[in-house]
Amino acid sequence: MPMTMKLKVWRQAGPGQPGRLVDYVANNVHAGMSFLEMLDVVNEDLIRKDQDPIAFDSDCREGICGSCGLVIDGIPHGPDKGATTCQVHMRRFKSGETITIEPFRAKAFPVIKDLVVDRTAFDRIIAAGGYVSMNVGGAPDANSLPVAKDVADHAMDSAQCIGCGACVAACKNAAAHLFTSAKITHLGLLPQGEAERDRRVVRMVDQMDSEGFGSCSNEGECEAVCPKEIPISNIARMNRDFLKALVR
Amino acid sequence: MSLDSRTPSGPIADKWDRRKFENKLVSPANRRKFQVIVVGTGLAGASAAASLGELGYPVKVFGIHESPRRAHSIAAQGGINAAKNYRNDGDSVYRLFYDTIKGGDYRAREANVYRLAQASVNIIDQCVAQGVPFAREYGGLLDNRSFGGAQVSRTFYARGQTGQQLLLGAYQSMMRQVDAGTVSLYQRREMLDLVVVNNQARGIVCRNLVTGELESHEADAVLLCTGGYGTVFYLSTNAVNSNVTAAWRAHKRGAFFANPCFTQIHPTCIPVSGDHQSKLTLMSESLRNDGRVWVPKQQGDKRPPAQIPDADRDYYLERRYPAFGNLVPRDVASRAAKSVCDEGRGAGDSGLSVYLDFADAIKRSGVDTIKARYGNLFDMYRRITDENPYQVPMRIYPAVHYTMGGLWVDYNLMSTVPGLFVLGEANFSDHGANRLGASALMQGLADGYFVAPYTVANYLGGTSLPPVKASHDAFGAAKAAAQARIDKVLQVKGKRTVREFHRAIGTICWDHVGMARNEASLTDAISQIRQLREAFWQDVTVPGDVNNLNPGLDYAGRVADYMEFAEVLALDALERRESCGGHFREEFQTPDGEALRKDDEYSYVAAWEFKGVGAQPQLHKEDLVFEEVHPTQRSYK
Amino acid sequence: MTPQKAFSSSIGSKFLIALTGVLLFLFLVSHLAGNLLFLLGPDAFNHYSHALISNPLILVAEVGLVAIFLLHIVKTVWIVVANRGARPERYASRKWAKTKNPRSRKTLSSTTMIVTGTITLLFVVTHLVTFKYGPYYETAEGIRDLYRLQIAVFSNPGYVAFYLVAMTVIGFHLWHGISSAAQSFGLDSPQWTPRIIWTGRILTAVITVGFALLPIFTFVVGRN
Ligand SMILES: Cc1cc2nc3c(=O)[nH]c(=O)nc-3n(C[C@H](O)[C@H](O)[C@H](O)COP(=O)(O)OP(=O)(O)OC[C@H]3O[C@@H](n4cnc5c(N)ncnc54)[C@H](O)[C@@H]3O)c2cc1C
Ligand code: HEM
Ligand code: HEM
Ligand code: SF4
Ligand code: F3S
Ligand code: FES
Repeated sequence: MPMTMKLKVWRQAGPGQPGRLVDYVANNVHAGMSFLEMLDVVNEDLIRKDQDPIAFDSDCREGICGSCGLVIDGIPHGPDKGATTCQVHMRRFKSGETITIEPFRAKAFPVIKDLVVDRTAFDRIIAAGGYVSMNVGGAPDANSLPVAKDVADHAMDSAQCIGCGACVAACKNAAAHLFTSAKITHLGLLPQGEAERDRRVVRMVDQMDSEGFGSCSNEGECEAVCPKEIPISNIARMNRDFLKALVR
Repeated sequence: MSLDSRTPSGPIADKWDRRKFENKLVSPANRRKFQVIVVGTGLAGASAAASLGELGYPVKVFGIHESPRRAHSIAAQGGINAAKNYRNDGDSVYRLFYDTIKGGDYRAREANVYRLAQASVNIIDQCVAQGVPFAREYGGLLDNRSFGGAQVSRTFYARGQTGQQLLLGAYQSMMRQVDAGTVSLYQRREMLDLVVVNNQARGIVCRNLVTGELESHEADAVLLCTGGYGTVFYLSTNAVNSNVTAAWRAHKRGAFFANPCFTQIHPTCIPVSGDHQSKLTLMSESLRNDGRVWVPKQQGDKRPPAQIPDADRDYYLERRYPAFGNLVPRDVASRAAKSVCDEGRGAGDSGLSVYLDFADAIKRSGVDTIKARYGNLFDMYRRITDENPYQVPMRIYPAVHYTMGGLWVDYNLMSTVPGLFVLGEANFSDHGANRLGASALMQGLADGYFVAPYTVANYLGGTSLPPVKASHDAFGAAKAAAQARIDKVLQVKGKRTVREFHRAIGTICWDHVGMARNEASLTDAISQIRQLREAFWQDVTVPGDVNNLNPGLDYAGRVADYMEFAEVLALDALERRESCGGHFREEFQTPDGEALRKDDEYSYVAAWEFKGVGAQPQLHKEDLVFEEVHPTQRSYK
Repeated sequence: MTPQKAFSSSIGSKFLIALTGVLLFLFLVSHLAGNLLFLLGPDAFNHYSHALISNPLILVAEVGLVAIFLLHIVKTVWIVVANRGARPERYASRKWAKTKNPRSRKTLSSTTMIVTGTITLLFVVTHLVTFKYGPYYETAEGIRDLYRLQIAVFSNPGYVAFYLVAMTVIGFHLWHGISSAAQSFGLDSPQWTPRIIWTGRILTAVITVGFALLPIFTFVVGRN
């Protein structure tokens, strides 16, 4: 049974330009469609009517690249726990329902067009220190440095961050703390990341602040929307590392 | 004309050392005088940019994505091979080399594959040092698993997100160079042309996808790392923006396209459920370690799987391949699935799927063990299909996954255009006619970290490169051509959407150049492709602005290139009158339905030279010489 | 990083807010302890307050307290403004993510920190006017009779109600505030975090109820 959805979609021609919510009707929606495939269908209709289709980002469509990201009815990545926008399926909704779709909103994520935002601030945060400074060629044998399994697993939990920015979108302060702390935790837990621990946290936090993200009020909404369910205990670790770095 | 692969002479194990020694070097102080362009930020591009940046070359990096970290490599799940022999189970560089040559059905270049196996060892060291959190054992050392039917455990993995972790490692190293000032990023840029001056690659023309502006960037060497062309089939496991555009436009400027018909169909994907689908989802191959593949014995048996007793089930892989069973290589498993479905024994409403059943495994090891091993995958399956694989067998069907073909490169990874290097899935080099699981990640990183830095230096150090500025006529001409193509597609103002055309070209390719191919059907495909191309240029419609973000316009350009590329794909399949690896010609099979290679006639790389759209491209052959591994009929019985 | 820069960073600022918040909380604890002497009768209470007021160190303590208050206020107001600025365009529809994943710590309390803080500030000003700078009664011994003042103030049910409301508001502030401060200091561990959260809430309840009892008790005593 095909469903019909009423959509309110944020349309904005370009950066800094005024935008507004526009009503659309999506016909022929199937329960098995993903949310983005539903938008594809809407866009196909718009194109046939020679209207500008709704711009949104996506690539892998399986929850790993971090390209997609919409605020669906007020919640980044929509209603499913531990899922990205592209992993939400239409069987989650009822036919006839109205769905409001907005872009991730933050000063540091300016809208490029419609639902597409610019999250390159994240790249600059990583460039400030989200790496181990080692050159190709200089690596010792991979097994020369054992790492306890639970430590490696814990590092992996944080390394899973897909850089989608939903944490920022959900945070009332538009803070990037969860994203930044995920990288700091990943590298901070491993012996490979130990040497640059202080420099890394100080530089990454500094970059994060200068991008115009807010600060953390410890609300944990970020954790709730994070498709990889990265915990805010990472933020505590980042705070700790930062404060320690200052006194060292 | 026979192509020269510039493979060094000498014993296979010494070839790469010899080449590295013979290579010209560029002294540290001189490196900043050369400009290098890297197009693509997947494993190949990011690793190449990072290592070249570390060496001190100024590198400009381009990608169509918002961030380099979003490149398609991020989606690889299963793992990466390396001949570390940490398991003491008899692995070695030579065995990995041997397995890859054999797995590729003897259509790969020996020397390249050997080098790949050698580099595999260093890749793991490099990645661990970067902080890639590979899975570990309780003792703190790295864990390995057996993957894709290999008889040794040589696959390193990071949960089901190995590609993600490896890419983030390379990306982070590259971002370190961005911070250091050697690498500069140009994201949301699409390469639309290669600029060739005096038969040397001297830069690119790309489009800023946000402003629509065409930009010229000059360089002394261009590294193309733009991934595979799997999305020519419309539905595939590849990310939806994957494309052939950069490679195709380089092809039009003189880079030969090799073995396009070698495409890989992965056996374990979630089956197609309807027209709306925009992509297919891979279920990791590791599932075949515990799941048993079957279909009903009776044609048209539509009983729910639970009601089909064991006696009425055909565990066809175990039956046909007793030695390897459910773990036969991808091409074999895919074809077997197709043939049982063609017999009318497929599962599901569409009849286009087979069961992958975990009931026995759950009985044997318990739900918890299975959950620990595959919990993520089961959840993913459930989310997409709304079926619970703990209770009902999964349904899977083959889907396009990887493309072994790509731009032709010599041993130095340089294409037929001097100064244009091609790395990763975009080149044709290491996997022959079929890629083994967990070896694409290995190849991408080997190319970027350990091969290109030497061979690019050799080129830069040993070639006269007169200065070329972006004001050069060649740039102007390339820009004008790119602009003309954009204008042309916007001016059609027809009635059909780009997606309709993409779906149509995909259907042609899947039906005719898919898992089973034959002379008549391929000939038919070529004429259908030509007609569709005509129709495209008459009836496509692309609304929106040129000078603003317009994903529909980008998409149109890519599909337009597929309209041209698909023809050489089909042509290559037509001209290769043998079956090998992922290329199965129905006319050439053994009595029991296995691929029949013709080594005396087709032991070569088919490299196509562009002669104009619609014109017959010219075939160049690189003969494959097997000094180490003697080609035999692959047998997994 | 210079200390100046460090303390104006997002994390440094939150450290200062948490530090001043916790100090203010400790003041509240001691204030409550002192005020509970009221229950022991006029002598105990008045002598205690006299001892406090006449101690020369009190000036130092008061200046310190004012400084802590000001720092807390300046930092929080600054950060709230910056946080608003971090999202110039609001969402048209907004739903708590908690509804999809209970792991969020968002509560009514956490969303209204600036409101409850501001009300607290207004309360403190009124409170100082009422008590510290309120009518000066003297005991027979010639020291300030705060006992009498307090009875006088809380004989007015309006004051009682105002205090009860104010105490609730402060309770709201601390409900999120205490555990939040722990997180800002970077205190966290899988076993301890849930306990910290609960301890914070229990302390909040104790303080709030403790303070709330005083006006009620005083009102009752004043009646008799
Ligand atoms: C679902 C899935 C699972 C896989 N699992 C495994 C596995 O377990 N093990 C394994 O070994 N392999 C696996 N593979 C294969 C492997 O992931 C890929 O072959 C490999 O990652 C390709 O890397 P690449 O660097 O060559 O290209 P990509 O990662 O595809 O990167 C292409 C880059 O080129 C850029 N680009 C593309 N076109 C243009 C253009 N026109 N202009 C500018 N830039 C452009 C893109 O922005 C991108 O940065 C898997 C593949 C898929 C689809
Ligand atoms: C007795 C008085 C007060 C006490 C005990 C107190 C205590 C606290 C504590 C413990 C925190 C948590 C710090 C953290 O999250 O790290 C906090 C946060 C806060 N306080 Fe207070 N506070 C008091 C008064 C005030 C006043 C007067 C204001 C305002 C004008 C105020 C505004 C805030 C704000 C806005 C926050 C949240 C900051 C954020 O995380 O975004 N507080 N307070
Ligand atoms: C029912 C609750 C309360 C009662 C009965 C009470 C009573 C008093 C009294 C009698 C004084 C006068 C002390 C003096 O002048 O030396 C005082 C001072 C003060 N009170 Fe309260 N108080 C209460 C709650 C609070 C709360 C909740 C706060 C803070 C948020 C607070 C903050 C202060 C401050 C800052 C002073 C001035 C201290 C000084 O200058 O030494 N009080 N209080
Ligand atoms: S922390 Fe979670 S929500 Fe934030 S960017 Fe990473 S994956 Fe996305
Ligand atoms: S939601 Fe925001 S307030 Fe902190 S805990 Fe998460 S960043
Ligand atoms: S499209 Fe890649 S995460 Fe959604």
